[in-house]
Amino acid sequence: MLLEIERITKTYRSPLRRGPGTRANADVSLSVDAGQVYGLLGHNGAGKTTLVNQVVGLIRPDAGTIRVAGRDAVADPSFARQACSLQPQAQLPIDGLTPRQAIELVGRLRGGRAADVRMRRDRLVAALDLGQWLDTDGARLSGGVKRLVSFAMAAVSPGLVVVLDEPTNDVDPVRRRLLWAEVRQLAGEGAAVLLVTHNVLEAERSVDRLAILTEGRLIAEGTPAELKTGLAADLHLELVLEPGFPPPSPAAFVARYRPNGSRAVATIPAAAAGPAVAWAEQLRRSGVIEEFSLTPATLEDVYVQLVGGPAAHSIREVRDDRAA
Amino acid sequence: MTALRSYRLLVHWQILRLKGFVPLAIVVQALFALGIVAGYPLLFPALDRQTMLFLATGAPAITLITMGLVAVPQVVSQARTQGSLEYMRTLPVPRMVFLLADLSVWLVIVLPGLVFALWVGAARFDLAFEVSLLVVPAFLLVALTSTAVGYAMACVLPPMIAVLLTQVMVVFVMLFSPLNFPSERLPGWLQSIHEVLPIEAMGEVIRGTLAGGSFPISASPFLMLAAWCAGGLGIAYLTLRRRA
Ligand SMILES: Nc1ncnc2c1ncn2[C@@H]1O[C@H](COP(=O)(O)OP(=O)(O)OP(=O)(O)O)[C@@H](O)[C@H]1O
Ligand SMILES: [Mg+2]
Repeated sequence: MLLEIERITKTYRSPLRRGPGTRANADVSLSVDAGQVYGLLGHNGAGKTTLVNQVVGLIRPDAGTIRVAGRDAVADPSFARQACSLQPQAQLPIDGLTPRQAIELVGRLRGGRAADVRMRRDRLVAALDLGQWLDTDGARLSGGVKRLVSFAMAAVSPGLVVVLDEPTNDVDPVRRRLLWAEVRQLAGEGAAVLLVTHNVLEAERSVDRLAILTEGRLIAEGTPAELKTGLAADLHLELVLEPGFPPPSPAAFVARYRPNGSRAVATIPAAAAGPAVAWAEQLRRSGVIEEFSLTPATLEDVYVQLVGGPAAHSIREVRDDRAA
Repeated sequence: MTALRSYRLLVHWQILRLKGFVPLAIVVQALFALGIVAGYPLLFPALDRQTMLFLATGAPAITLITMGLVAVPQVVSQARTQGSLEYMRTLPVPRMVFLLADLSVWLVIVLPGLVFALWVGAARFDLAFEVSLLVVPAFLLVALTSTAVGYAMACVLPPMIAVLLTQVMVVFVMLFSPLNFPSERLPGWLQSIHEVLPIEAMGEVIRGTLAGGSFPISASPFLMLAAWCAGGLGIAYLTLRRRA
């Protein structure tokens, strides 16, 4: 394993205030192999940034060990910086530098040879479709372009471990696909990629393994398929109601039923797919619903089920907002 | 060898980051210098040679010191709040190399304003400085000490406090420090404060190396500045190394 995180615990204490402090990580263990993309999910404030910042030596754990290529990264932070490249969560101000200069200088500061760095920079810029902003001053870049430049800075002379803290934020859907392809490319070249994201659906398609953090604890870990095993047999039937109509009463095979405003979601066992489509089609023809869709359970469903509580709420709300 | 390479690259990075700031720095320094050599004499119609020398040497001293103790902490505090200082800390570069590269860029930034301040003072009072051989190390020590102390301020203090403190510093350096006048004119308690602060020593080495005939120089202000410089560098270095 290239990156081994073992039983990491970290509590933030304020020097001015007494009290227990904020426990940001509690006994977190995970490991990432060369060639792997490892996703880190979790609600806001779950401790994801805290965890990854300990890998790159910005934060010192209270307990636990972090090994990079077998070497103790906590005891030797300068080795950790050499071996890990980071795309931070915060937008990086590069006012005064153009993406061309910023990517190249960071690549060389990370130890790359000038000619190699330029070649990789040009490849990344083309792959992420950033060419038109290559010589724009950093102060005048849009948020998404800044984010992509920051990714390129982490990827141009990547470490053995590449840490990406919410790399897809602010990025448009087309470039997000390009970005995911570049993340895979980094792993393909042999890096261990540790990636924080809130974009569960995209992560599902692109990561090899993932972990879910809640309030500093790791509550689930595995491949996307493993995490979904409990739900794999379930399907979601979403009904979009005809305006003014009340939600229809559920058919007998519906396991869970959640009417919600202008739509209703029925969870059904996979075996009932045929009758479910027939039922929905009949509702549509009789004018009770406008349309319907049948989808397999996603990682987001697992996530919501595991994290539960207010986080589950907010995700459902986001969905409804989008529908409205 | 790799430290030297990192140093070069970091200097390049910081020059690009700060280049927009340079014209502003020159204008502010020029205004300070003009304020001193053209503004102060309005208060006193007749100036003796000693006073003229105080003003002509005070102008470069104040432009250097205010850049180090005011501009540097403001820019570094901003880099801290915006997260760019933290980002630089994730790069595989020795902390001391990072610090020295940053300070070197500041030394270059203050240079044009300093030259202007020297020239405008000499021209306004029609003075010829008696420049000593020690002038280069003296100015270098003053510039390095004030930037190192300013850097340490920004590293240690919460950004908002650091920026507030720089405002106080402007008034303190301009009006309540023995740079444009002899320290005997200050009240006793302020004199004792200046005995521990490095500002008076900065004035002494600048006066002593520009006008040695009127202001004899000794080793003690040099030693004092060296101590402050080492202290500032040490504190800045330790805070850059610190992990939360
Ligand atoms: N410097 C700090 N000082 C004190 N507490 C902190 C600090 N940084 C983070 N915390 C607290 O630690 C917990 C974890 O924060 P962290 O930034 O790691 O969360 P996160 O999972 O990255 O969240 P997000 O998805 O919002 O980025 C939170 O409760 C946060 O308030
Ligand atoms: Mg975070």
